[in-house]
Amino acid sequence: MVQQFLNGIITGSLYALIAVGLTMVYGILRILHIAHAAVFVGGAYIGLVAYTFTGSLVLALIAAAAGCSVLGYLIQRYLYTPMLTEERIVPLIASVGLFILCEDLFRLLGGPYIRAFKVDLWFEKIAFLEAVVTAHQVLILITTAVCLLVVYAVISKTKLGLAWQATAQDMDTARAMGVNIRQVVTFNFIIASSIAAIAGVMTAINYNSVLPTMGSVISYKMFAIVVLGGMGSIPGTVVASLIIGMSETFMSAYFGFIMPRDAIAFTAMILILIVRPQGLFGRAR
Amino acid sequence: MPPILRVENVAKSFGGVQALRKVSLQLMPNEILGLIGPNGAGKTTFFNTVCGVFRPDEGRVFLEERDVTGWPAHRIARMGIGRTFQIVKPFRNISLERNVLVALGHDRISGWRPSMLGTGLKAHRDEVRRLLRLVGLEEFIDQTPTTLPLGHQKRMEISRALALRPKVLMLDEPFAGLSEEDIVPLAGVIKNLQREGLSILLIEHNIPHVMELCSRLAVLNFGENLCDGPPEIIRRDPRVITAYLGS
Repeated sequence: MVQQFLNGIITGSLYALIAVGLTMVYGILRILHIAHAAVFVGGAYIGLVAYTFTGSLVLALIAAAAGCSVLGYLIQRYLYTPMLTEERIVPLIASVGLFILCEDLFRLLGGPYIRAFKVDLWFEKIAFLEAVVTAHQVLILITTAVCLLVVYAVISKTKLGLAWQATAQDMDTARAMGVNIRQVVTFNFIIASSIAAIAGVMTAINYNSVLPTMGSVISYKMFAIVVLGGMGSIPGTVVASLIIGMSETFMSAYFGFIMPRDAIAFTAMILILIVRPQGLFGRAR
Repeated sequence: MPPILRVENVAKSFGGVQALRKVSLQLMPNEILGLIGPNGAGKTTFFNTVCGVFRPDEGRVFLEERDVTGWPAHRIARMGIGRTFQIVKPFRNISLERNVLVALGHDRISGWRPSMLGTGLKAHRDEVRRLLRLVGLEEFIDQTPTTLPLGHQKRMEISRALALRPKVLMLDEPFAGLSEEDIVPLAGVIKNLQREGLSILLIEHNIPHVMELCSRLAVLNFGENLCDGPPEIIRRDPRVITAYLGS
């Protein structure tokens, strides 16, 4: 039981790291940034290359975050910004297209096969109550906590975070109050993309694998999580990630579900949305 | 004395609709200028064009003799034009304190500021209190705007616009939807701001209060300047009477 609980928390933490960036982008631009999954995969590849050359996980994380910040900025500046005045479906389709393009690009650059991303940490595993936790899982928990705390601190304690909140609520009014929307959106993408990159590295070392299609399932699962949490709500996204992580783990382990665990995520989403269509933390219209 | 805000021959159209036709206007320092006209005259379009929401098709906008035509709205706001909205637009999910804080502390010139990542919030807390006190809302500092009545939300918007340290304050129908008992103190707030040296451009349909507050009125009709002058002259101008009542 404790083991499954921990597994659920760890899976949920990884989902939270990935989905929080998506919800940040949606909160500001109202764009479903499916290509966020490509940023996640890009982070895994950059991290792998950096780790291969330096042997340092810290440098791998920094390189992945920096590289994906640039990637996120380019997506925002040259893909989404010109489309902001178009119907919402236009950037969504562009985002899906970019995601597919990136998958093929990763396949071309990194090869179609699975690459190992083995990182040795200070210890292998520790026993905790009746459960065993690997060093990678501890690292995921700590990293997720740090990233979420940074996001919380930026939003609640800085001028930038205040500008985000204002922009997310009413972009035109924020502009009239002197907020430079372009800066706010740029920072938003940089932070969201950095976190996605870190999530990519964490996922890769947790499963000891990097492959071009590792973002495929994630792309729609993070969408389910964001909808479940309430579009644009960061606390909602974190809670939804944990719910999905727990549901998958417990249902697979205890109920002998014949459904694949990815389908469980969507079942949980559908069940909750029937009761609460606006998501857990969303506002009813 | 040069005008603090000078608008010259501004034109703006949307598709086939000519919303503004070469409108000119001057706001003098420490003046309350009323901008009146029937519904659809182009008053709010004029506001939005001056504030940078719309780029004018023709004409120029000068703030203290500096040409700000076509500048983005956030730059114009930082340069010193604060505004409120016809339909109140508070940031609904954050406290009054944070609503005001959004507009506070912007640099007039530069874009990137290191302090964007700093808190800056504590440093400005006293100033936020002062600004809310000016409009009589200090006691509601921690409440969200949606918990307050419309009159309070309108005052909060004034306080938020003042946080920009504006040279010109543009008020878009501040009395709309308010009862007389809410209008009187709000009119007092506006008068006090003028006494403290602010220049105010006021769109308003409540003619008795406009007459009382403004030293000069400009009238728009069908997107054109109709006339301009002291309230007692404007009140009797047959063109204005016709514009409001029809021929």
